Amino acid sequence: MEEEYRMVLVGVGGQGILTISDIIAIAAQKKGLRVLSSEVHGMAQKGGSVITNLKIGKELHSPTIPVGCSKALIGLEENETLRYMKYLEPGGLVITSKTVLYPVTWKKDKNAAVLAHEKIDENLSKFDARIIRINAEKLASEAGLALAQNIVLLGALSQIKDFPLSVEELKSALKTRVPSKYIETNVKAFELGIEAMKKAN
Amino acid sequence: MVRVEELIENEEKRVLVLGNEAIARGAIEAGVQVFAAYPGTPSSEISMALIAAAPELGFYAEWSTNEKVSMEVAYAASISGVRSMIACKHVGLNVAADVFYSALYMGCKGGFVTVVGDDPHCFSSQNEQDSRWLGVSANFPILEPSSPQEAKEFTKMAFEISEKFEIPMLLRTTTRISHARADVQFNKFETTYRDGELEKSPRFKCLPGIARANHPKLLEKNETIKEWIPESGLTRIEGPEDNQFGIITSGISYSYVKDALLMLNADIPILKLGIVSPLDEKSILKFAKSKENIIFIEEVDPYLEDRISALLVQNGITPKIHGKCNGITKRYHELNAYLVAKGLESLFGSKIADFKDIEVAVTKTEEYIPFRPPLFCAGCQHRAAFYELSKVVKKNDGIFASDIGCYSLDPWVSDTIVCMGASIGMASGFSRVIKDKPIFAIIGDSTFFHTGLPALANAVYNKANFNLLILDNRMTAMTGFQPNPTEDIPIENVAKGLGVEYIVEFDPYDFEKGKKTIEEALKHKGPTVIIMRKICANEWWRRTRRKGEKIEVYHTDPEICIACGTCIVRYQCPAISWSIDTNSKGKQYTVIDSSTCTGCSVCSQICPTGAISKVE
Ligand SMILES: Cc1ncc(C[n+]2csc(CCOP(=O)(O)OP(=O)(O)O)c2C)c(N)n1
Ligand code: SF4
Ligand code: SF4
Repeated sequence: MEEEYRMVLVGVGGQGILTISDIIAIAAQKKGLRVLSSEVHGMAQKGGSVITNLKIGKELHSPTIPVGCSKALIGLEENETLRYMKYLEPGGLVITSKTVLYPVTWKKDKNAAVLAHEKIDENLSKFDARIIRINAEKLASEAGLALAQNIVLLGALSQIKDFPLSVEELKSALKTRVPSKYIETNVKAFELGIEAMKKAN
Repeated sequence: MVRVEELIENEEKRVLVLGNEAIARGAIEAGVQVFAAYPGTPSSEISMALIAAAPELGFYAEWSTNEKVSMEVAYAASISGVRSMIACKHVGLNVAADVFYSALYMGCKGGFVTVVGDDPHCFSSQNEQDSRWLGVSANFPILEPSSPQEAKEFTKMAFEISEKFEIPMLLRTTTRISHARADVQFNKFETTYRDGELEKSPRFKCLPGIARANHPKLLEKNETIKEWIPESGLTRIEGPEDNQFGIITSGISYSYVKDALLMLNADIPILKLGIVSPLDEKSILKFAKSKENIIFIEEVDPYLEDRISALLVQNGITPKIHGKCNGITKRYHELNAYLVAKGLESLFGSKIADFKDIEVAVTKTEEYIPFRPPLFCAGCQHRAAFYELSKVVKKNDGIFASDIGCYSLDPWVSDTIVCMGASIGMASGFSRVIKDKPIFAIIGDSTFFHTGLPALANAVYNKANFNLLILDNRMTAMTGFQPNPTEDIPIENVAKGLGVEYIVEFDPYDFEKGKKTIEEALKHKGPTVIIMRKICANEWWRRTRRKGEKIEVYHTDPEICIACGTCIVRYQCPAISWSIDTNSKGKQYTVIDSSTCTGCSVCSQICPTGAISKVE
């Protein structure tokens, strides 16, 4: 299966995962590559945990990525990153936002959020992976669009070494996908993501 | 979602679309002229796309009140010579079953296609029904695409086959086809919409004498189709000719087989069936004759396995059968490439990685990973309604029959959820045998019009004593905010017309009034009807933001908040969380996220210390 690039994008319903998987798909299509993704619609979307599988390549068959088979994992929320770590191939790359969104099960425990980062880090380290953490919340606000955390991560993932799409290809797809009045702020968010990733590398 | 302009553009081009949108495009290219549907995951995007395209292209499309009605609308168009289609989820096909069992006997004229979306793994469903059984028991020819591209092509073919043999067709997809996004080749099309004409004939009356004559004709048609399949290109054989193994598969499972064989580095003959009923017996027998081992790969039920095994026995061919019968794949949940490869590895004597380290890490982290179930949205009016109800229901130890919709997410009072419309029938039944407790039924507006109406007529007629709560959020929210008759037909008028004597209405955000109204209703003999009316908060929030209007949100005063947890632990509004910092007394407090709060005000009404107020 070396012909195809496989990645999973995870987060909480409403964080804009479909938007970034769309942008990647648009860029891949423009480049003449095939794309196949599998999305979650319906009930699970309502604030639940969501995962999108995305494959890019020349000849693609099944739309899902089994456990242990994804080259990269992009997480928009750290608990969700942890939840879906099993999909990553051994030694694979994780780019995760440090954002933590409250699951309802935490509400009984006032300390849960306080301890979250520590606990998540401790648990993430149990997997064989290279993990890069991005402060997407901060960078998106810096770009002037708090909602653009997903685009910050898109910028970050454009820096993955064997990723089949270039920064320019992703950026031009981004411009066609977001509403015109938000292009500028989104591009800014995208670029801040690139920088953050360069620093982390 | 693909833009309508792109979906209907009459050009040869590749477009990124969902499998469901590819089906919609297939129908457009085939010249569908009447489309009717009731929403249901994973089928809804087919209907949303076609209903958006209809006014642009000039064909007719509607949201019907239920699947049965949608099929009747489309069937009438078909026997008037016009191409027509419906789309529904697997359980919706059950609702339409009464129509198609007879429609198949009578046949059709204009191409008539039913698209059914099955949901292995129950991503958004109450069961894993494999609709192929229902289809075959009614003698539907059934097509099963393996990719979004095939979904489009098979839709077009379904219309052609339907017209050629005058038989209704079933196109079966599963969630992973419907919700796969891929670049799909669109083709040019010609539309010649025309008026229908009903050629009068006794054929379209399913009276016993006629039905008796029609049944053998239906079976004959299936025989003719069976003979025709080999030349249709719907059956495909891949891989080397001579091998002791052969895999038979269809639909999404074919794609898993392809990837699994790559994982196993194995070159094994595959028989891919594009039509799974009637069976392409000629090709199957030819394929199986020389094989010592036949392996069936399919999701959920052993449909191909059982039917084809029988076929082989009837023809004296006796390879060893592998599949569900010996645990190569499971009879439940979805498959993937790895599961298929794992199932096959011992047969082929190969070995694939088994990710033991990952399993270990999963076990070690499981305990921490917080459960994140789907929830009512911030400000959801159903949450408010259920919170009020939970006070009354629990105090009176009531029995609570719920129904299917966003309100199925209720964490507090629901005792039963069965199928659409069942709340009213179930409450009627409970009222016959449970005499010392109040009985409640709760139903949404869309579900009320779907199957609640006959159940309510039944309850009035038979004088069932229960309280019916109708959550009128002005739309069919769960499946993507589709419109339904509540827009034009006031539910209170319907209830009154059916003879309900006690009917009240309130706004669920008005907390105290809500509680009192329900308490009061309990004093009356049922069926009573209590309408809780408020637009879906999520859709309202999105519309308001799109219009650029300001949303008046709420906030907590950290010094007044005593961290009792009423708003956060009990009410569970997702916009509220615990602070990381502490207030001047060293205590944590609640924080409201202003980007998700819809300003419903309920938290401020239930806060015992008055710590929550509108942001001025
Ligand atoms: C027979 C059948 N058809 C369709 C569905 C899919 N479905 C589940 S919930 C729902 C909509 C319910 O709408 P409503 O009762 O108004 O509740 P809301 O989601 O708006 O709260 C639909 C169409 C189903 N489960 N069963
Ligand atoms: S979509 Fe509407 S009805 Fe459904 S949970 Fe959200 S706010 Fe409530
Ligand atoms: S007002 Fe309170 S209950 Fe309503 S959405 Fe805002 S935080 Fe949630």
